[in-house]
Amino acid sequence: MIKTRLAATALFCALLATTATAKDHPGDESIKSGGYHGPETCEECHPGTARKFLDTVHWKHASKVTNVEGLDPGKEYGMKNRIYVMCNGNDIVNNLKEIPKSPDTGKTKFTGCNTCHPGNHLSDVGSSGPEAEKAIDCLICHSAEYDFSSRKPFKDAKGRVVMGQDRSTKSALTVGRPKVKNCMACHEAAGGGVVVKRGFAFTKETDVHAAKGMVCVDCHRAQDHKIATGLDPNNWANDGTLISCADAACHGAKPHKDPDLNRHAAKVACQTCHIPRTGGAFAKDFTEWEKGSDGFYEPTTLRKEANDTTPVYAWYNGTVANSAHFIGPKGNRSDAKSRITPFKIFQGKAYFEEKSGELLSMDFAPPMANGDTRAGVESASRTLGMKNPAQVAQKAVTGWQTIYFGSNHLVTKTKALFCANCHAPNGVLRFKELGYTDQEVVKLTNPDLYMKKLAERQREEW
Amino acid sequence: MKNQLTLFAACAVLLLSLFAFVIPASAEDVKMVGTISKLVVAPDGKSATAVLKDTKSGQEVTILVTDELTLDKFKDKRIVEGDEIRCKFEKLDGKNDSKIFKKTAGC
Repeated sequence: MIKTRLAATALFCALLATTATAKDHPGDESIKSGGYHGPETCEECHPGTARKFLDTVHWKHASKVTNVEGLDPGKEYGMKNRIYVMCNGNDIVNNLKEIPKSPDTGKTKFTGCNTCHPGNHLSDVGSSGPEAEKAIDCLICHSAEYDFSSRKPFKDAKGRVVMGQDRSTKSALTVGRPKVKNCMACHEAAGGGVVVKRGFAFTKETDVHAAKGMVCVDCHRAQDHKIATGLDPNNWANDGTLISCADAACHGAKPHKDPDLNRHAAKVACQTCHIPRTGGAFAKDFTEWEKGSDGFYEPTTLRKEANDTTPVYAWYNGTVANSAHFIGPKGNRSDAKSRITPFKIFQGKAYFEEKSGELLSMDFAPPMANGDTRAGVESASRTLGMKNPAQVAQKAVTGWQTIYFGSNHLVTKTKALFCANCHAPNGVLRFKELGYTDQEVVKLTNPDLYMKKLAERQREEW
Repeated sequence: MKNQLTLFAACAVLLLSLFAFVIPASAEDVKMVGTISKLVVAPDGKSATAVLKDTKSGQEVTILVTDELTLDKFKDKRIVEGDEIRCKFEKLDGKNDSKIFKKTAGC
């Protein structure tokens, strides 16, 4: 008996040890003894990874885009070169640089769209070759204790703007799968501030997946650093892999016990019921910048917190309408691929080319220093090789662009929409606008649809 | 009659004095944008105090931060002294409890 107990205890301890070992990074001893020297240290155990990483959206900030109208199928698009009104700049026209001194304070600062690029700026967006491989900041995504005070731009002895990195051994000894904070270090503050662009917070209070201890890369799974994404009308660049709630490894094609709810999935996206709230900025004016306490200017931005507003609903088949004044979902109720989907609507005011009506982009350096937004348009036009950039900026006209952002986070189970949230006459879905006839709307808002089910639920709850 | 009036007045005074005690104890939400002039994380890492200099009034306000996400940003220096912060806090029992504590700067 004692022998059996001892054996069981030994087995238990052995299993514990195995678990502990599995969680440890096998390369720790090598890093401890040899120190951390950037990707070359990682490559000792992960050969070829750096080269492959250079072919991902995170490095290139662009990819071929097949679902957006009006794009050249032979070219790559993304924040490297896109012109739209959430940012109005891009990596090319608003490259990381030291901006002119503020007339008020005499101080300068570094800014640029590619601040979040995981290189050192000398090897920048889309660069390739051995130098680019050495410049990758592996730890910003993989270290649990990255020291962000190192991740600051500075000028080197040659006057070049360099992005600093934490390459300490201490930081390297905490490598692993990216945690939520690794992703959020960049994605949280995209678009000009925390919760501005995406309007969500991935916390246990705001997302059921976070509450279960899941991290971003549990859904945004990676293969060779190519990361799965959804079909957000505004998020064009992709690594070619799609996320689906209906994935067999996640919720499957029939996730509900109630077949009525499962039947809805043919015409209603999961997000419609399970993401009833959204947030973040809903309007920006790039033609009028506000002066901040530091003497620098920022685009005037109207913002909400995560969960602070409600989405709008539209049919979406995964393809995207794209024009100077509108970027949003395509689809309709007779299209078998379309489903009713929630979106956050964002509107931005910017400059448009006088004759062509095309949206113009902006270099943020001039307006950030002194509020002169047309100088920003002139600088961007010059960078893009447009003829007479001064004239382009002077004659540019102001206008608005509306963008539909995918609403794919802030997932809830307990606060999900139920029958009456849509089918009551004051429900969130505007059936008429979604293409239903008056007669159909009467049927769709008839309490017979939900009376029994809701009465039963009410009895259970009370 | 006179006694009844006196009793009514006494009750009214008692009720008012009760409100006088209740009102200051109730929570009050305040929004501000300010620059961090001093940041101290408690030795146990479970709280921190940040002194924010209000960009409008120039007054310094001490904020108590206890949420894990923000504390983690202090620890790994995603938020440091000198950063401008958009803050919402609740005034309660003489303390300013942070509800929202976010850097204003983006990319």
